Amino acid sequence: MRAFLTDLLKASAPAEAVAWLQERITEQETRFSKRPFYYAFSGVSRHFPKHGSIEITSEEGAQLRERFPGFSMDHWDAFRLARVLLLLTLAKQEKTVFLETIAALLNTADLREQAAIYSSYALLPHQEELIESAIDGLRSNIVDVYDSIALNNPFPSAHFTDAAWNQMVLKAIFISRPLYRITGLDARRNGELAAAISYLAHERWAAGRRIPADAWRNCVGFVTDEISADLHHLLETGDPTDREAAALVLASDGDPRLADLRGRLEGEIDAIGSGTLSWDRLGEKLEFPVTLNGAPAKA
Amino acid sequence: MRFLDSHVHMVSRTTDDYQRMAASGVTAIIEPSFWQGQPRTEPGTFKDYFNTLIGFERFRASQFGIKHYCTIGLNPKEANNEKLAEAVMELLPLYICKEGVVGIGEIGFDDQTRAEEKYLRLQAQLALEADLPIQIHTPHRDKKLGTIRTMDVLEDVGIDPGKVIIDHNNEETVKTVLDRGYWAAFTIYPHTKLGNERMVEILREYGAERIIVDSAADWGISDALAVPKTAALMKERGITLERIEQVTYRNPLAAYEQSGQISERDWEGSEGIDPTALFEGNTLLRGGMDVTTAMSQYLMIE
Repeated sequence: MRAFLTDLLKASAPAEAVAWLQERITEQETRFSKRPFYYAFSGVSRHFPKHGSIEITSEEGAQLRERFPGFSMDHWDAFRLARVLLLLTLAKQEKTVFLETIAALLNTADLREQAAIYSSYALLPHQEELIESAIDGLRSNIVDVYDSIALNNPFPSAHFTDAAWNQMVLKAIFISRPLYRITGLDARRNGELAAAISYLAHERWAAGRRIPADAWRNCVGFVTDEISADLHHLLETGDPTDREAAALVLASDGDPRLADLRGRLEGEIDAIGSGTLSWDRLGEKLEFPVTLNGAPAKA
Repeated sequence: MRFLDSHVHMVSRTTDDYQRMAASGVTAIIEPSFWQGQPRTEPGTFKDYFNTLIGFERFRASQFGIKHYCTIGLNPKEANNEKLAEAVMELLPLYICKEGVVGIGEIGFDDQTRAEEKYLRLQAQLALEADLPIQIHTPHRDKKLGTIRTMDVLEDVGIDPGKVIIDHNNEETVKTVLDRGYWAAFTIYPHTKLGNERMVEILREYGAERIIVDSAADWGISDALAVPKTAALMKERGITLERIEQVTYRNPLAAYEQSGQISERDWEGSEGIDPTALFEGNTLLRGGMDVTTAMSQYLMIE
């Protein structure tokens, strides 16, 4: 994995910066020492270009998906990749040193450092010991920090309890994060989450507001009387994306309470059949663009 | 026109301020570490404060399209609590090389005690090692001698004056600060520091070279729009736009750019605001904010 990631970094970052990083890595492998490691981790910002993003070819993307299903480096920058390479070096230390160093790094981490740490969790050892800190990281309202855990990261679906998972998904809705980029969203559906989505919809409707249409993706397989009534309600009051969501629930959930919707969603159901409508496509359409630093992009 | 307010304590300000600053053309800000009114009693609270400066406050500013940077340091008031000061000195190396940390600051003298001098000296050495600019707080009391004493200490450590921004200057300190090769910053702060009419006169007398205007807005009665307001007043009093841009944008950028942690590239694409348009009362709508209202009814800060 490290060789693969190093090659990716070499292709996107200046040679002197990569050489500096490799020297730090060799130094730490020969003789690990906490303080120099902290400095190297922070020092990435002094050697790599601040605005450098990582370019991944489609073959490299495919390789990555094969090795680490659910893991993606879309939206990564050079700072993050360089720091993840340092964390993979740290991963070779014995468990106590490894865990203490991760905790100390998080203790004084800036925004991009936090994002680098959390997005590496799925690549690190002793993952069971990292679960609490990932849950704690999700308490942040800083979008980049939240995203580094929740989006394109297989760690939560592999480790979170239903309670922690459900909080993460609900928070994604509250802070307008793209649900389709949550790894394992379909596999981790559960009845409590489906009910919570329904309650949230009612609360929003009472306030004259709405929930993003793809939130209903969490209800597939867990349709209740209530949720069935919600989907019927959406057809009366919702916008085209709500209709698409209702059709998508219907297409993958054979619940008889939804059967009567079929006749009213023919166009959407055809679109699903022809492949032009899917949960991911709906999610992409609803995605709220943000800038690299977590600020909502100007319209 | 856009502005860089190189001294503002945003942790004490509201989102209304952020909105008004963004609407008035403040594109980037530097938040120095300082005391917070209430003295801290534990080193851990410094750590959380520094974490806020490199974390949540940076995020908060970004929500308004403002780029946020900071300087990290042990302020002179709290340097007098030596047990605490020692512990904070241990923390500093963990922060000074972080992204967006553009200097060591604000450090200097308050009561001009022995302990204050000790930590000024130690932090100057740290700046030398990390090759970072220094942001200096000059004392309220006995300012002139305190300023001279600060420069003596820095030069004794071997600091290049071109990498030091001395703040809170007034008519009494500006000449010696400029003569010795330092950047001279002026804080437009109502009542206790400097009003902006005086600032206009200083600019007339000393020119714009190495002069910086900032707000130092904090938890006291202060004005987060001091920089754009002063720019507008300067324009009204016949100072050229080129000079105005120099003292409210170019100079602070050049001074802190020496850290390698701030660059115009960071906010490329942001539009900026024309202060003459502001001053003449044109309604510029940006971010849903009426700038005329944002600038309030008065430009003068006394």
